[in-house]
Amino acid sequence: MFFCAPGHSRGRCAGLGLVAALLSVLPRLLWAQAPAPACALLLSGRVQDHESRGALAGATVVVLETRQATQTEPDGHYHLDHLCPGTYHVQVSFVGFAAEVVEVRLTAAAYRDFRLHPDAVALKGAVVNGQRAAAPTTQATATLTEKDLQQTRGQTLGEALQKVNGVTALQTGPGIFKPMIHGLHSNRVTILNNGVRQEGQQWGQEHGPEIDPFLASQLTVVKGAASVRYGSDAIGGVVLVQPRPLRDSVGTGAELNLVGMSNNGLGAASGLVEGNLRRLPALSWRAQGTVRKAGTMRAPGYYLRNSGFEEGNFSGSLGWRQPTYGVEVFYSQFNTRIGILPAAHVGNQQDFLLAVARNRPLETSGFTYTIERAYQQVQHQVFKVSGFVKTGNAGRLSTTVAQQLDGRDEYDKYRPRNDNRAALNRPELSYTNRTTTAELLWEHRPWHRFTGSVGVAGTYQFNRYPDGSRQFIPFYTNYTGGMFWLEQWQQGKWLLEGGLRLDRRDLQVKRATRTGGVFGVAASRFQYTTPAASLGAVYDATAHLTLRLASGLTRRAPAANERFSDGVHNAQYELGYDLVPGNDPAVPETALNLGLTATFHDNPRLNGELTVYQTRILNFLYQSPILPPVVSIRGVLASWQFRQTNATLRGLDVSGSYVLGPQWQLGGKVAVVRGLDTSQDEWLIFMPADRAELSLRYNLMNRAGRRLQNSYVQALGTGVARQTRVPRNYAARDYREPPAGYGLLSLEAGTTLYWGRLPLELSVAGSNLLNQRYRDYLNRYRYFADEMGRNLTLRLRLRLPLELSHARPTTTP
Amino acid sequence: MKNLLFRSAFLAALAAAPVFTSCSDDNDTPTPDDDNEQITTVRYELTPVNGGSTLTAQYRDVDGDGGAAPVISGLTLAANTTYTGKIVLLDETKTPAEDISAEVKQEADEHLLVFTPTGVNLTVTRTDKDKNNLEVGLETRLQTAAASATAGTLRVALRHQPGTKNGTATPGDTDVEVDFPVVVK
Repeated sequence: MFFCAPGHSRGRCAGLGLVAALLSVLPRLLWAQAPAPACALLLSGRVQDHESRGALAGATVVVLETRQATQTEPDGHYHLDHLCPGTYHVQVSFVGFAAEVVEVRLTAAAYRDFRLHPDAVALKGAVVNGQRAAAPTTQATATLTEKDLQQTRGQTLGEALQKVNGVTALQTGPGIFKPMIHGLHSNRVTILNNGVRQEGQQWGQEHGPEIDPFLASQLTVVKGAASVRYGSDAIGGVVLVQPRPLRDSVGTGAELNLVGMSNNGLGAASGLVEGNLRRLPALSWRAQGTVRKAGTMRAPGYYLRNSGFEEGNFSGSLGWRQPTYGVEVFYSQFNTRIGILPAAHVGNQQDFLLAVARNRPLETSGFTYTIERAYQQVQHQVFKVSGFVKTGNAGRLSTTVAQQLDGRDEYDKYRPRNDNRAALNRPELSYTNRTTTAELLWEHRPWHRFTGSVGVAGTYQFNRYPDGSRQFIPFYTNYTGGMFWLEQWQQGKWLLEGGLRLDRRDLQVKRATRTGGVFGVAASRFQYTTPAASLGAVYDATAHLTLRLASGLTRRAPAANERFSDGVHNAQYELGYDLVPGNDPAVPETALNLGLTATFHDNPRLNGELTVYQTRILNFLYQSPILPPVVSIRGVLASWQFRQTNATLRGLDVSGSYVLGPQWQLGGKVAVVRGLDTSQDEWLIFMPADRAELSLRYNLMNRAGRRLQNSYVQALGTGVARQTRVPRNYAARDYREPPAGYGLLSLEAGTTLYWGRLPLELSVAGSNLLNQRYRDYLNRYRYFADEMGRNLTLRLRLRLPLELSHARPTTTP
Repeated sequence: MKNLLFRSAFLAALAAAPVFTSCSDDNDTPTPDDDNEQITTVRYELTPVNGGSTLTAQYRDVDGDGGAAPVISGLTLAANTTYTGKIVLLDETKTPAEDISAEVKQEADEHLLVFTPTGVNLTVTRTDKDKNNLEVGLETRLQTAAASATAGTLRVALRHQPGTKNGTATPGDTDVEVDFPVVVK
């Protein structure tokens, strides 16, 4: 116990302590038996280049006995605290220098400098290229690592993101999940897919992000406005989908993921091959592909008709990287077909009300993989070229140019009555959205205590539909251009960040009209200049407590869909703000964000994070039902329109973990959002209900030489309350009252099986184990059907090092 | 100046454009959606069996869903009279207007018209049959009873029932559902 250091479990600590004591402390046993001062000694110093005496920034300093590690600051300084008195071996290493291990005896706080010798051999051996984290640091930020993501494999991106506290999803059945951060979604959440701002038809509540989650090795969610860096669409937050960097060491590797689910017969397979050529070490490549297919989903007691989906995706990237410059080319294609529940696809209000009143849908079915009519067919392509140049003394210049093509076809339940038209089998709605984005970023080299970047970004987007498609979103062409400047200042425990941005949007819309039955085109053009500013701070109060404060001011110009959507789509009528009789054009939103986060980290037992936030949005654009509903020839339709009001969203996210023992870990999360319509002085509609999660995990002891390693069992309970904070007179505002709260139980067990030297990761997870019938307030299918019943998921991952070059036969003697 | 900056950035991207499957729909203005089937007009024409002028009830919404409200004209029927009824469905977004009732007749085994009077003394009987000997309702006989002081409504609904038609209104979806104000005097 003598050597117990923060951040380590007791068992390992005791073992290490014993070994270290025997080796080095034994001669001083007498001294050690004296009353030991508290383990609060500080070891600090500076790491320098032995030749030039220049400071080495980013060198790694490790206390071998306690495994405490740190990196040197830009001036070469390092600090290690909470050390107990004793003798330690400290290892200092840096790329291109010979690592040193030095024995240090600590009786009081000590200062120790290290001078490393350049090592030419080490340079030749391996070059570690640091991947800079793009996420700003003043906002609450959560990351799902590869290990976390492994537990979500087989799910869509939006579903996986729900693992992040404070993130929920707007759901449409089992296949469509749209991420919602702190109650905000769609045009207020930016998704960056491999550095490219995801632009498609993200407006629809039932349009999930067109991204293959197997592409990501890490998902980062910035909870709070990051509009200075990412543009005005990042008022609610940012989701960064990050693939693993291209391989930088010679060789070839492969990875295979397989997922099977019992409830809807989902099968998913995703494979990846990547390599780095021996003869051209600058050249790296990767090819990746995924197939996913699910059949009919089963709610407790019945099958949800036509709820299957299928997906096929692939991507490839090629990178050329030198120390001072690099280029990467990336292409990906995402294809999916998603069945629409027939109960959700109803002709008129009466059918709709009947469907809503039913406890289970009228039309259920048996299990099938066939997707019938009333489905969506979506294709999304991304082509990206990115590059960087390190401009010597000036800094680093990087650019990303990307083109995205998003095609969405929606097929109604019934074919046209006319046989000739039916034979064409055309979608009733067909939209093509093409977007070109470009960004140029210059990160200047540290100047005094400042680091920062200046950038320009532009978007060119157009949206079209072919002859024969119903109008829903008009033709539009959108140009956006912006420039921003972000600067960070760091000293000691403080980091301050400030930024400014200016965006210009030019939106040209051409809308088909049929006033009095005569076809016409109404053209309009809007130009907006919208500023954004941010100010934030990070304060490392102690080695275990970090405080972050972020504030932001953003103006967001309304998008084409918010202004001009008009038409029937999945048997629901939607109307944009500008088209509501009596409305003036929608005005830009002004958002004021404030967030405070306290992170309690690197403690031996209790760690956690608390975020409190408030977002005030003036002229908040949101969608809610129209009453009385719109009359069409089919009767009255369930109808939605955009409204503008002043809103305040506030809430808190609390998460924590507690190490109960060497192998037991307890975790918990609570997320609360309160949305207020301050103009009407009532609650906002469609805000996530309060939710909490509690998990208990047991890690089996790893024993050397065993075939099974890293085995664990985990139980998870999720509770979601009924949403009671809804607008007044709710029966006249929505078609069904918010559903009751629910509690779910899930279990998961996993292990890594070593097959020779190959690791095979296996896990079995059971969700909704009690086969609970429940509905979620944010699922559009909640009007008609229950959520998924019990489901067992089997996941398997195999990573293979392939040395293709060894297999090449020698042909010449 | 910013525009120039854009262009240069876009040029680079546009160079890559051929990689993508090209859009066949780069047209710059929307065109009438001629291939999309709509019903804009429902007409119920009633001719007294014993002679007299034809009465017409009409629902007409030429700008489609949303926009301007539909124009609805009702019926004033004589008491204790029998009428021969005919349903006419039109798509007036096309030029010339497309006769949807002819389509319905062609696929009579997938369609059923349902007539529901409320608050008026009249009965509607379907007089036409499909190939499965199930009623269709494009042709009807309407019989009024005694006059009533207040106006009522007659609801006309077209149910689309491909593969599920069984003579009742339950299966399928609603393609048309309109209410006509009716007075019997």
